[in-house]
Amino acid sequence: MTAPAPALAPPADPRRPGPPGRRSHLPAVTRRAQARLGVLLVLPLLVVMAVFLLFPMANAIYYVFVDFDGIDLTPPFVGLDNFSELFRDPKVWAAFKNNAIWIVLGTIGPLVLGLALALLLWNVERGSVVYKVVFFLPYVLPQVAVAVVWGWIYEPSRGWLNKVLDLVGLGAFTTGWLGNPDTALYAVLATAIWATLGFVFVILLSALRTVDTDLVDAARLDGANGAQRLRHIVLPQIMPVFLMITTITLLGGFSVFEYVFVMTGGGPAGATDVLGTYAYSSAFQLNRISYGTSLALVITLMAVPFAVWLNRLQRRIALDGPGA
Amino acid sequence: MKLFPARTAVVTACLLATACTGGTTESAGGDDGGGSTATLRYLIEQQEDASSQEALQEHIDADFTQESGIEVEVESLPLEVMRTVLQTQLRSGEGPDVFAWGSGPSFGGALAEAGLVRDLTSDYEEHGWEVYDFARERVTVDGKVYGLPGEAETIGLYYNKDVFAELGLEEPQSLDDVRAASEAVREAGMTPMAVGDKEGWEGGHLLSMALSSAVGSDGMEALVSGEQPWTSPEVVAALQLWKDFDAAGFLPESPTSVDYDTSTALFFSGDAAMIPTGSWLVAEIEDNADFEVGYIPFPAPDGPGIFAGGLGSGPYVSANTDDEDASLEFLDFLASPEHAQWTVENLATIPPREVDSDELEVSPLFGQVLEDTAELSASGDFGYNIDVLVSDAFNEAMYDGMQAVFTGQSTPEQVAATLEAAQS
Repeated sequence: MTAPAPALAPPADPRRPGPPGRRSHLPAVTRRAQARLGVLLVLPLLVVMAVFLLFPMANAIYYVFVDFDGIDLTPPFVGLDNFSELFRDPKVWAAFKNNAIWIVLGTIGPLVLGLALALLLWNVERGSVVYKVVFFLPYVLPQVAVAVVWGWIYEPSRGWLNKVLDLVGLGAFTTGWLGNPDTALYAVLATAIWATLGFVFVILLSALRTVDTDLVDAARLDGANGAQRLRHIVLPQIMPVFLMITTITLLGGFSVFEYVFVMTGGGPAGATDVLGTYAYSSAFQLNRISYGTSLALVITLMAVPFAVWLNRLQRRIALDGPGA
Repeated sequence: MKLFPARTAVVTACLLATACTGGTTESAGGDDGGGSTATLRYLIEQQEDASSQEALQEHIDADFTQESGIEVEVESLPLEVMRTVLQTQLRSGEGPDVFAWGSGPSFGGALAEAGLVRDLTSDYEEHGWEVYDFARERVTVDGKVYGLPGEAETIGLYYNKDVFAELGLEEPQSLDDVRAASEAVREAGMTPMAVGDKEGWEGGHLLSMALSSAVGSDGMEALVSGEQPWTSPEVVAALQLWKDFDAAGFLPESPTSVDYDTSTALFFSGDAAMIPTGSWLVAEIEDNADFEVGYIPFPAPDGPGIFAGGLGSGPYVSANTDDEDASLEFLDFLASPEHAQWTVENLATIPPREVDSDELEVSPLFGQVLEDTAELSASGDFGYNIDVLVSDAFNEAMYDGMQAVFTGQSTPEQVAATLEAAQS
């Protein structure tokens, strides 16, 4: 990106071999001008990063070591008390458990269903655009709108889910989906999976278009069944894309907030609280800014290793193949 | 490009981390170097009916700005957003000059202790602002008055008079009457009480009304002040009451799945015969219900009970306002009997001061609410709406506790113990 294009580079002077490697043959004045231009070009981004990322990040790190309630501008220093309280707080562990459920089901669900849909429609030419649009549409809808509408669907007396269950003779399964602590989290999760499914489907379908079908046909001739062809022929070829989607959906499980906040507010009685909603309520409803910030930092620290590991795995497979 | 997902993750996580940090930037008190034209910003909680804000703006323009020459811009934010940004705005000097906010320790009290609102004690005397004594106490911190009380609110039980008449039921005078009426309504295939507790705050009102009627105003004072423990049998009984009502089928299926708007819709549509909620519903009832409605205190175990009372959001003056004189002049307008009368007639709210009801054109239901409030305010015999008088931590325990009682996650005794722990 930074090396000048060969066609634009001045011809090398055969009498002056010059130092090998990266030294430019441009005059010093031009190099300085280019450097200044480069700095000018990246300056806006640096300012944005400093204002909206580095400063708030430093601010956040400061807050976790004090007890800031949003009012007192000289909050007392408390060292690691916020973190020690956090690990003793049963509500944190309950929220963490919900995050874990979300990470597992919220990752596996869209991947499995999205892959199944993509495989079903892999070789379908007629109407494929319609399928893509129909399945992708929920993903581009605002999460809040999706959450509100699904809240209506789940409503016990007027929502159509219970009405449909009644109609088909499954009235025994009707319940207050979002108000029942046994079903609320899974009801919200199902909404999120429904909304994410289209994204996974479209990406995987695009990846499937790049699969070498000769290999698939050869495997079929060799007697490989569908599952074997999927496992040994198809999946290895789309693995980098598959891992990319896994990374996105898995990290979404750490930072989940909107669906829970809108559909249940973490209730009933904290049954659907995840770390994000608990951090929010601690910071902004109980005015425990420092405690909420500590919680948010912990979420960050938990998510980063997964992101790095999955990214490295994806790169390695992309470069060396799935057997690496 | 190779690190894109990891970087994205880090950035996302960092943003999440920083999202919870309140700003503490302390800028110089909002001196924007503008001219001397007095334009005040008046921030209020977002109204359910958007036309209410427009009507308020027009009223201020016509009855205040034209006389005083002071422009007022009425702004609004959802309550949840106000909770998160108001303190930061006030501290930075970028906040509103005058704003409507709740009373009690979690709301105006916290701002007063932080020095973010103006002390109005001397202004009360200077301008002769008249409000009910109990209301003035609610905006008083350490002997200093920091705001004008918001509209008075009572919490009680609305009932559909037409349905009661069809079923041959009388107005309930005790809890046994409520049970008998509920059974009759349920037998008729309707929902006896439209109760929703999905948001959580509704549970605080349910507890407030049942407990207020059970222990009376002195008993509520003893509980809120800490003289009486929240593990008292009366508190447990009030929690148990709602659990029993739910178990008996007096409430909609799974109240924790039903939000407030749905519960009111159940009542307006005639699907439910009663709704326990506050006087703020009067205007909506008049707009939406095509049947006669009665409003009574939630009955006590042995009698008619008392209303639980509280205050809505009232105006405060920012300590960092650029124009203190104009702000006080505007506050004087908001405290005037003319403005009180306008709010009664146009917003169907109950001002925290006496109004001459003979001059008002209001519905019989609202007229009754006004008279009840005036009587209660004079006598002082009303219960408490708990959530405006206690800390955020207590409120959270109460909201979660009521939901836990409904869902069976906790017993009433366990919830009472949690409330006591939150109080201390």
